[in-house]
Amino acid sequence: MKLHYYPGCTLKEKTPGLDISTREAMKRLDIELVEPEGWTCCGAEYPLTAEKISGLAAPIRVLRQVRDEGGDVIVTTCSFCYSVLKRSNKALQDDPLKRKRINAFLRDDIKIDPLTKERTTHFEDYNGEVQVLHLLEYLRDRVGFPRIRERLKRDLGNLPIAAYYGCRLLRPKDEMDFDEPDSPHLFEEFLEAVGCAAVDYPFKQECCGSYLVVSLPDAATEASYRVLRSAKMNGAEAITVTCPLCFYNLDHRQETIKATYLDFPGLPVVFFTQLLAWALGVDRSVLGLGEHRVPADGVFSGTPATEVRT
Amino acid sequence: MTAKAKTKEKRIGLFVCHCGVNIASVVDVEKVARVLKDYPGVTFSADYVYMCSDPGQQMIIDTIKEKHLDGIIVAACSPTLHEKTFQEAARLAGLNPYQIEIANIREQDSWVHTDKEKATKKAVKIVKSHVAKARLNENLEPIKVDVTRRALVIGGGVSGLQAALDIADHGYEVIVVEKNPSIGGKMIQLSETFPTLDCSQCILTPKMVEVSRHPRIKLLTYHEVDAISGFVGNFKVRIKKKPRYVDETLCNLCGECEKVCPQIAPDEFNEGLSFRKAIYMPFPQAIPGTYTLDAEHCLGLNPVRCGKCKDVCDKKAIDYDMKETIVEEEVGAVVVATGYDLYTMQALGEYGGEKYDDVVNGLEFERILSASGPTGGEVRRPSDGKVPKSIVFVQCSGSRDTEKHLPYCSKICCMYTAKHAMMYRHKVPDGQATVFYIDVRTGGKSFDEFYMRTVEEDKVLYIRGKVSKVFKEGDKLIVWGVDTLTGKKVEIEADMVVLAMAMVKADGVQDLLKKLKIATDIHGFLAEAHPKLRPVESLNAGFYLAGCAHGPKDIPETVAQASAAAAKVGGLFAQKELIHEPTTVPVNDELCSGCAICVTMCPYTARSMDPDRGVVAVNEILCEGCGACAAACPSGAAQQRNTTDDQIFSMLRAMLRE
Repeated sequence: MKLHYYPGCTLKEKTPGLDISTREAMKRLDIELVEPEGWTCCGAEYPLTAEKISGLAAPIRVLRQVRDEGGDVIVTTCSFCYSVLKRSNKALQDDPLKRKRINAFLRDDIKIDPLTKERTTHFEDYNGEVQVLHLLEYLRDRVGFPRIRERLKRDLGNLPIAAYYGCRLLRPKDEMDFDEPDSPHLFEEFLEAVGCAAVDYPFKQECCGSYLVVSLPDAATEASYRVLRSAKMNGAEAITVTCPLCFYNLDHRQETIKATYLDFPGLPVVFFTQLLAWALGVDRSVLGLGEHRVPADGVFSGTPATEVRT
Repeated sequence: MTAKAKTKEKRIGLFVCHCGVNIASVVDVEKVARVLKDYPGVTFSADYVYMCSDPGQQMIIDTIKEKHLDGIIVAACSPTLHEKTFQEAARLAGLNPYQIEIANIREQDSWVHTDKEKATKKAVKIVKSHVAKARLNENLEPIKVDVTRRALVIGGGVSGLQAALDIADHGYEVIVVEKNPSIGGKMIQLSETFPTLDCSQCILTPKMVEVSRHPRIKLLTYHEVDAISGFVGNFKVRIKKKPRYVDETLCNLCGECEKVCPQIAPDEFNEGLSFRKAIYMPFPQAIPGTYTLDAEHCLGLNPVRCGKCKDVCDKKAIDYDMKETIVEEEVGAVVVATGYDLYTMQALGEYGGEKYDDVVNGLEFERILSASGPTGGEVRRPSDGKVPKSIVFVQCSGSRDTEKHLPYCSKICCMYTAKHAMMYRHKVPDGQATVFYIDVRTGGKSFDEFYMRTVEEDKVLYIRGKVSKVFKEGDKLIVWGVDTLTGKKVEIEADMVVLAMAMVKADGVQDLLKKLKIATDIHGFLAEAHPKLRPVESLNAGFYLAGCAHGPKDIPETVAQASAAAAKVGGLFAQKELIHEPTTVPVNDELCSGCAICVTMCPYTARSMDPDRGVVAVNEILCEGCGACAAACPSGAAQQRNTTDDQIFSMLRAMLRE
């Protein structure tokens, strides 16, 4: 089956390997990921920062496009995109005035079909019909972890992995409704479903430093270091993330972290779909291992793919 | 009725009150009196600055006599305030008090409007409607009822015990019902009490003994109130006696049963910090002094399966066949002293209370400090028994948080946290105590001096700010917070964290309160009849409030409130007979079709079907005159005295006619 998928610009442009691992993993679950036509950046944090309506245009256009293509669900693997799409959607569902104003604004959109050059000028109002899901939620609720277990092709041997939620997935709770902000467990359940052992550590919901990497890099370095150190101290052999920005801060900047905090020995950072793909038997050549600055080959070694029953 | 009113027109007097400027600044009171002077039925009309004053009342009395009035309208404040005053004035003038009508032109008019012209117009309409009603009012006689001079106290904590002792010392009998195996409540669990540091047990146990020995107090521990019916002065109570499986009259506390019992359970007295056996005595000074068998943790009350305790009991006190029984009692008043519980630490997941053994709540720390506690009074942390060298205390854990938790202040936490920190510093002189606070509230006799001692002599570090997170690193707890005076983030390595959890309504008390039909506030604490002037009474007559069931308070305040409730009960019992309002809803047998809709509507069980006559019968003593039945009756057979359908419709007509 086909499923609408919003990779987001960071994943698509900066770490395409992670995008490919996602698609490969989902293929093993008989799901083809389709991008909505002409999608744009969701606006990152901006649609939610100001009380302005225009910022909502970008995410709402994406969601409207999904609806117009007949979709009722869109999944994303980026925590930021997830937060923006979901909260923009909710703002529209909950606030009739916002709904009216953004639709009045978007009604004037013009779309030109690249092949026929046909102009579309009429758009139906979008009222929040599409459901925004993070791929983790989709795997739990629509695919089901038991079904993933049935499809496993590799035994990951209860590899101890730390699930890192970061800040975007869980809060604000009323709007995200993803998991318990203080004691989340969805990501851990996912890790167990793919055959890893989830490591409990207190920094799983702390921020990695996010965009401070641009304005206050030292603060971001410290924030990322604390997360990595805590995971390592609690016995993790790798840390897994659901967000390309977390991936960047924790992985790409680990050299800086190591240089700043000399006691830190380093910790591989993997994207959650890489683990899923690997467990489902995807070949390591398409896992996007080239994206890693901290070699993660140790995580994806071991036994060749066989039929695994759990 | 209308025909009767027409034949003999009433002589109605109208008195419009200025209430200083409360009414007069918005309503043109003189105009109201003037406009209605010639309104049909009105014989006399006047305005006066304070109708409730002595001269104001005298004016009513004199006018009734002079003008031979037989109906009075006082246009003033809400009838809940001065209806009784004016009824009494009418009685002094020889007029039936139920001929008094109060037209509320203050709360329902002047206080909620600003436009003088419109408000005056509204006042006129309100008064007109009451004139219409007054024309049809009848003379009524109050119903007199006997009083059962015996009180029920629900709850055997310090508030219940104090109330029971005071009522008994007034000379009346008291029944104390406590759901737990022993009386003592939360106070018996405390270590020392602020600000004097007396040992809590040492000051409470004499009261417990006094209650158990008092000739006029009947103690029913391990009992629960199951149902209550009746009304002030005449309640019938069904009390459930839970099976203790030990005959308390035979048990001699030899303790042999406890020694052989193979089952353990968390010890409630120690807040689960230690274990007890399934057959146990809650604490050494427990009253009544008897063992109790906890069926939930027992291997199964089946002598074939275990039966060890029964085998060793010389006194043959253990009886596995005990069943729950019902006790019925008649009482005239009820003191509700059901206490409080602490807000669950689970609600504050970021503080790790559910995850880490060394994050404890205030009551658990009381047990750790207490000489009768799990550590014998030495401060040792639950996880590994080590003496903590650094403790962080977090005030307002759940309190004063309008966003996520409870908006109110739990009142006692500032003081007990100061006490905790002080006691800790006394017991562990090289330990570091740090307190996070929002404000330190020390309003109470000698409270601030105590707090200053904690800071200055005992060197407890107070940081103004909130804690954001507590987590474990190695065997340390890391506390993240903020110092809002310096604006800096704070990170503290601690061995233990004590959360001053908010006080909340007692767990499971809502079922009981529903049975008692007494109102609570939005947080489930008991609602008083008036926040300032009737603070220890419930709006439901005959029920009195004491202790933390009514809201967070400390021990002296709890004791004072319990004594006040007892004094109120004493006042009630000192009356020869009680007066019941006659504004009840009788049944017109000729109109009643026997549909019994009103029977289901009545919240006071005052109405029942009379099977012989096929109509509804009313117990007017139970009827509170709420009017629910009158509204529901499809045939008009249920008419409330002095608020009949005729009166309501004529009020509407008077109000709606221009």
